[in-house]
Amino acid sequence: MDTQEQELEDIELFQKHVSDRFTELSSPPEDDALLSVSWLHRLLDVFLCCEAEFEAILIMDRDPSQLSKPPFDRLIPEFIERAVKALDICNAVANGVDSVRHCQKLSEIVISALDQNPLGDGHAKRAKKALLMLLSAMNLDDKEGTHVKATERSWSFGRRGVNKEQIAGHFRSLSWQVAKNWSSAKQIQSMIYNLVAPRGAEASGLPSPIYTMNVIMIFVMWAMVAAIPCQERNGLPTHFPVPKQLNWAHSLIGLQEKIADEWKKKEKKGMSGLLDELQKMEKLAQSLIDFTDSFHFPGDAEKVKEAAANVSELKEIFRRMDQGLTPLQMHIREVFHRIVRSRTEFLDVLEKGSAPAL
Amino acid sequence: MDECQSAIPAHDGDLHVVAAAHHIVKALGTTKNLSDDLRKILIDLDAHLSLITSNIDSKGGKGFVEVEERLKRVERKIVIWESDRIMIWDSGPKEASNYLEAVDEVQTLIDSLRGLSMNENQKQKELLHRASSLLQMAMSRLEEELIHMLVKHKQQSGPTCMPSPSSQRNVVYHESVVSLDNESAKEASSKNFCSDECGEYIVDLVPEHVILDIKSIAKVMFASDYGQEFCEAFIGVRKEALEQHFDILENGKLSIEDVLKMEWCSLSTEMNKWTWSMKIIFGVYLMSEKRLCDQVLGEFGSVNSFCFLEIAKTTILCLLNFGEAIAMGPQEPEKLLRLLDMYETLADLVIDIDALFSENGGSFVRLEFHKLLEGLADSVKAAFNAFRVAVSSNGSLYPFPGGGVHPLSKYVMNYISMFPEYCSTLNLLLEDQHSDVASLVSEPQCGPTASLSTSCAMACHLRSITSSLESNLHKKSKLYKDEALQHIFLMNNLHYMVQKVKGSELRPFFGDEWIRKHNAKFQQHEMNYERVTWSSVVSLLKDDNPGSSSLSKSAFKEKCKGFSVAFEEVYKNQTSWCIPDPQLREDLRISTSLKVVHAYRTFLGRNPAHVDDKCIKHTVEDVEKLLLDLFEGSPRSLRNSRRMMKT
Repeated sequence: MDTQEQELEDIELFQKHVSDRFTELSSPPEDDALLSVSWLHRLLDVFLCCEAEFEAILIMDRDPSQLSKPPFDRLIPEFIERAVKALDICNAVANGVDSVRHCQKLSEIVISALDQNPLGDGHAKRAKKALLMLLSAMNLDDKEGTHVKATERSWSFGRRGVNKEQIAGHFRSLSWQVAKNWSSAKQIQSMIYNLVAPRGAEASGLPSPIYTMNVIMIFVMWAMVAAIPCQERNGLPTHFPVPKQLNWAHSLIGLQEKIADEWKKKEKKGMSGLLDELQKMEKLAQSLIDFTDSFHFPGDAEKVKEAAANVSELKEIFRRMDQGLTPLQMHIREVFHRIVRSRTEFLDVLEKGSAPAL
Repeated sequence: MDECQSAIPAHDGDLHVVAAAHHIVKALGTTKNLSDDLRKILIDLDAHLSLITSNIDSKGGKGFVEVEERLKRVERKIVIWESDRIMIWDSGPKEASNYLEAVDEVQTLIDSLRGLSMNENQKQKELLHRASSLLQMAMSRLEEELIHMLVKHKQQSGPTCMPSPSSQRNVVYHESVVSLDNESAKEASSKNFCSDECGEYIVDLVPEHVILDIKSIAKVMFASDYGQEFCEAFIGVRKEALEQHFDILENGKLSIEDVLKMEWCSLSTEMNKWTWSMKIIFGVYLMSEKRLCDQVLGEFGSVNSFCFLEIAKTTILCLLNFGEAIAMGPQEPEKLLRLLDMYETLADLVIDIDALFSENGGSFVRLEFHKLLEGLADSVKAAFNAFRVAVSSNGSLYPFPGGGVHPLSKYVMNYISMFPEYCSTLNLLLEDQHSDVASLVSEPQCGPTASLSTSCAMACHLRSITSSLESNLHKKSKLYKDEALQHIFLMNNLHYMVQKVKGSELRPFFGDEWIRKHNAKFQQHEMNYERVTWSSVVSLLKDDNPGSSSLSKSAFKEKCKGFSVAFEEVYKNQTSWCIPDPQLREDLRISTSLKVVHAYRTFLGRNPAHVDDKCIKHTVEDVEKLLLDLFEGSPRSLRNSRRMMKT
């Protein structure tokens, strides 16, 4: 088999793998709900696998000068540019995971407070305080300027003058910005910009996997931004210009549409991340706060029972976050480093390819 | 046993005793080998204990009277502060310790109420409930007090050793620097000063006496299982404080995209700021913050390192991000010095980083910064390599006007004269670079004498670079059509190189032999110049017939004219040539003068008969004077000269 045929076969295999992996992601088992922490882990794994295969096809055993000729002299630099944008998103999301960890910490207080028998007024008050901070931390999201410094709420002007719960909640939200005026939504938008599926002869050659990898990278970044609160997600695009005829893309497009629907629904209500655990936590927090608001010792037995059930669920979410969030950050770092390395490899290839023959 | 009935336990201590005794009795009752007497005693005791407890039950919790009294008392102490607008800890140490004692008492009451096995007792439940509500109130208050204390006593200004980054010399090494003379160029690119002055420097982020107060609150809150709230509050305020300090250092918040697109001047400033910030944040603030956390949370196990990490995370990630963005970027030659600064700073700090984040949770911090260090090492090597390539591949289309010192020579020599400052780092990083150079490295790279050796890695690379420069200059010299100018050019540039080496810290790395060799080289060009220019001119004045006394008039005239024309030709051409170095210029003039003027004088002297002839355009004095115009760099014509001389 000559190299041309081998290459076509490799490309086909690559597309098939992509399709398979995303199909798997589309039908997650019970524990692995869409956009849950463990699902995100799987998504990142899919990215790493696809990227490894992609690099192998493009770079291994290939004469670098091939990739310096049109259309690769445009396609590769474009890919590298998108990769750099992805890096900033990785950082924004990894930072966002920190704010989710904060929510996790607050929920721990709620659990400590409510996991008492018998439940007293003091416990309910303690829980309510933590719940208010939790809800405010979740919904603060990412607008610039909403981060209020503790010192601005002057403690010196007396104790009854301000709502202490509200102040405390602002403490640890999103103090690291990627950059001033940076927007994750705009970043995704600029990654999508100029993304054009290869046509005609190009569609069956190397430009095809390059396009595929671009789409995968954008999708992964987009999904993470949708799931995890990070800087300025307003206006996150909900549509990807990926042609539906592409075989490998079906599952990916399906996923994208599902997530986009969720996003549109939530956008109207005000955003926390679409992260499954976060969504569930928000619901539980809402009902628990209603409970603590209306609680008076010894409380309505039915309601107390219900609250206990909620706390149980909250414990489960806490457990999943506890197990999965820090590893998620590590996983994102892994993706980050892989993209950096990949970028370096491609830059090397371009340099070698354009060096004049000695 | 009747006495038992009146001995109703009035204190909760007694309640404990009763419960404990009852428990022991029951346990003993299960022992198999009891004698009958013992068994009887135990049964009696059991009965009496049950009586006591049922007495309490039936009397509706009269035994809890004491407990209730204590609770009421402590309630007053705590609730009274709720309506007060003053902070407890602002009101003095007595108030504070009273409050803490009260909280302690609440906790004790709760513990003992819980310790009783009488779960069905209504009074007990009620009291327990009251106590835990009171506890929550107190904990909430303590949290407020804590935050107030931390916010109030945040150290606003930085440690005294810190000059602001803007006072640092921060001139960017740029092409424009080539126009600066030696001294100011050196000054312009010197390393961040204060680099060794600050080192590790621990400050009191919070005054000593406040720390004790914070500790006392911590103790109480943790003892009551409110440690999480304590950490939330503590982390919140400390984190903000650290970030305020970080903001003062004015690190631009830059995305990776921004950094990769930044133009050199701004980037150089940011790299400087990073280097500075790393020293301050890690060397001063984080060391101090760690000590504070140890003092406050040291006895609470892993909570300590967790809190420290949470406080520091955002700031160190910001610094990490910038470093990574730099390590990713294209490594152009002009970045080399800034990269060396960054590398050296991080290399120095990596030990501190390892110490600060030695726990499990901080392992990723250690890993990432070690990775970054490697990345920066690679960047230094890449930039150095780019510099070498730039030196050898710097091409010119046109010959450099005037034959003076080429900007490339200035750029290269000025640049490398700043390398010795980074000698040990460069030796480390360049050790295995470029096998052809590496093979020249013979001496060991460690030890006190290594860096002074002319065969250390850096020295070998430097000589390789200057050698590249020489080759390049030779190529450039070929662009001149005039061979004499080629020699002037090479003479100028080689001389410049030698002067630079002699007059800077490069000297020990190049060594005396190199200097001697290169002295000889430019002197050779000097001689070549003279030969090429003047030999033919002077030969015109030669005596064809050494024997005969004098020339015929026509021969004399011819020779005179020939000499004048040739001389004027040289004058016209070579006044526009340049020898920037005054000493060199002087040497060449003297040397030329000796040859030419002497030959002319001799020639004229041999033919005294024709001396007053009008065919003699120039006197010896004229020639002497005209020679002074050479190599001034401004072209002249003889007519101007004549007019000047006449007046």
